[in-house]
Amino acid sequence: MRGKVSLMAAPTGLSPGGYVSQAYADRSAPRTPLAELEAEKDGVLWRVRLSWACADPVRALGDEVDRFVDAAAVLAPIVPDAPWMTMGAPGKAVEGAMWRADRERPFGVRAEGLGSLERSVAPKGWEARAEWKSGRWQVEFELPGWKALDAGRQLAIAVWQGAEADRGGLKSVSAGWIRVGT
Amino acid sequence: MAAEATTTRQIAMVLDLNKCIGCQTCTVACKKLWNTDTGSGYAYWNNVETLPGAGYPRNWTGSGGRTATGEVKTGKVPNLDDEYGRAWSFNHEEVRARSGEGASKPWLRPDKPPRWGANWDEDRGAGDYPAENHYFYLPRLCNHCTHPACLDACPRHAIEKRGEDGIVLVDQDRCHGYRFCVEACPYKKVYFDPQRQVTTKCIFCLPRLEEGVAPACARQCPGRLRFVGYLDDEDGPIWKLVHGFGVALPLHPEFGLGPNVYYVPPTGPPRLDEKGRPTGQPRIPTSYLVELFGERVHEALGTLERERAKRRRGEASELMDLLIAYDWNRSFALDSGTREVL
Repeated sequence: MRGKVSLMAAPTGLSPGGYVSQAYADRSAPRTPLAELEAEKDGVLWRVRLSWACADPVRALGDEVDRFVDAAAVLAPIVPDAPWMTMGAPGKAVEGAMWRADRERPFGVRAEGLGSLERSVAPKGWEARAEWKSGRWQVEFELPGWKALDAGRQLAIAVWQGAEADRGGLKSVSAGWIRVGT
Repeated sequence: MAAEATTTRQIAMVLDLNKCIGCQTCTVACKKLWNTDTGSGYAYWNNVETLPGAGYPRNWTGSGGRTATGEVKTGKVPNLDDEYGRAWSFNHEEVRARSGEGASKPWLRPDKPPRWGANWDEDRGAGDYPAENHYFYLPRLCNHCTHPACLDACPRHAIEKRGEDGIVLVDQDRCHGYRFCVEACPYKKVYFDPQRQVTTKCIFCLPRLEEGVAPACARQCPGRLRFVGYLDDEDGPIWKLVHGFGVALPLHPEFGLGPNVYYVPPTGPPRLDEKGRPTGQPRIPTSYLVELFGERVHEALGTLERERAKRRRGEASELMDLLIAYDWNRSFALDSGTREVL
């Protein structure tokens, strides 16, 4: 599939703990309202391309303590009814890959609900290549052997704009699972 | 509201501000023990600031915490240039290379002109000299709050409050460096390490504590102004100073977090009149101390004055004996049977 995907601000009201939900209650507009998504399968390889407008790329923290880096993630449900909005639920995991502008390789990620995300070394062969050009990030994930996407054929995307202090639950996300082919 | 921690006991610290000489020995003891990594150059789990003053990070009050009605206040992550101040690096190489070169020798100086630092406005204070100028020192560390804003702020549950002693700790294996904890802490005592990309904070010298040894900041204090023990130990110094005599007060109780570091408020010499005679009015405005420690400061100052007067009359005063720390062992009550200072 290939197309434009409208993104929404992840609802901060669901954020675990008492701070983010109140401190960022008014953060209802996505910092990245639109992304382009292309997902194709080539043998066992899933190739997922994401691009979005980013006027002020943040590639690294450097020595700064108040800087946040750009990032993006693709997630797929491991079981068909894993909820997208909460990044899964106990016993209903989601998994995928996360690219960060300050890292060579993507993280492998897995979650069973908000606040449960675990980052790990990505599976062998999983890569992410990124380029910022003409005011846009273009990130290409190569994800061979991604069984969850093989089985479910649906994924969700998330984008973090570092310049907007996006991190954690402060992100722009697709409004549900996106079908990526039959 | 913060998740209620199931704390059975609470370790606490009392600092007598009348005895702090601003020597920064506590700061150095802490820094050398816990914060020598590259990414923590700017970070001081313990710092001593001059008040009145802007403090460290600059103008830290009012960012985060809660309102009087318990609503969360949105905080911010301070920056290095203007708020924390960058750790200084120096032109050692230049000086070394050019030493002995003629008459013109380079000065040792910071590589980048500093704009702020942890002790930038030391001894500046406030008030006009000589009638009413004043300042005092305020050592600060994590308050290991009863309702920690940092714990409440972490969506990953990476911060815990230990049940057995109430110490608030960051699980750096869980921390993803979002820094909501830095924002939410109104005391700005959680720090972000940009190299390791995790947050760090005072651990109340946990490994020492578990051996019955007081935290480094307390143990190294030349002024013997720090007291350490459990809040519920009625034989210990903390209970006596906080609850018994009521002279030790939390910093900014209006933040609503239940801090467990307490301060004996400072008294100073009196203001002078136009002829240089003592007026009997406090040089440190009591209204300023109320801003810091709340209304109970009136009662605390009254108790201190009464007990001092007893001493001046040659009468016994348990409070004065405790505060003067003549027997240093009474300052630390960590474990019954532990004699910490020999």
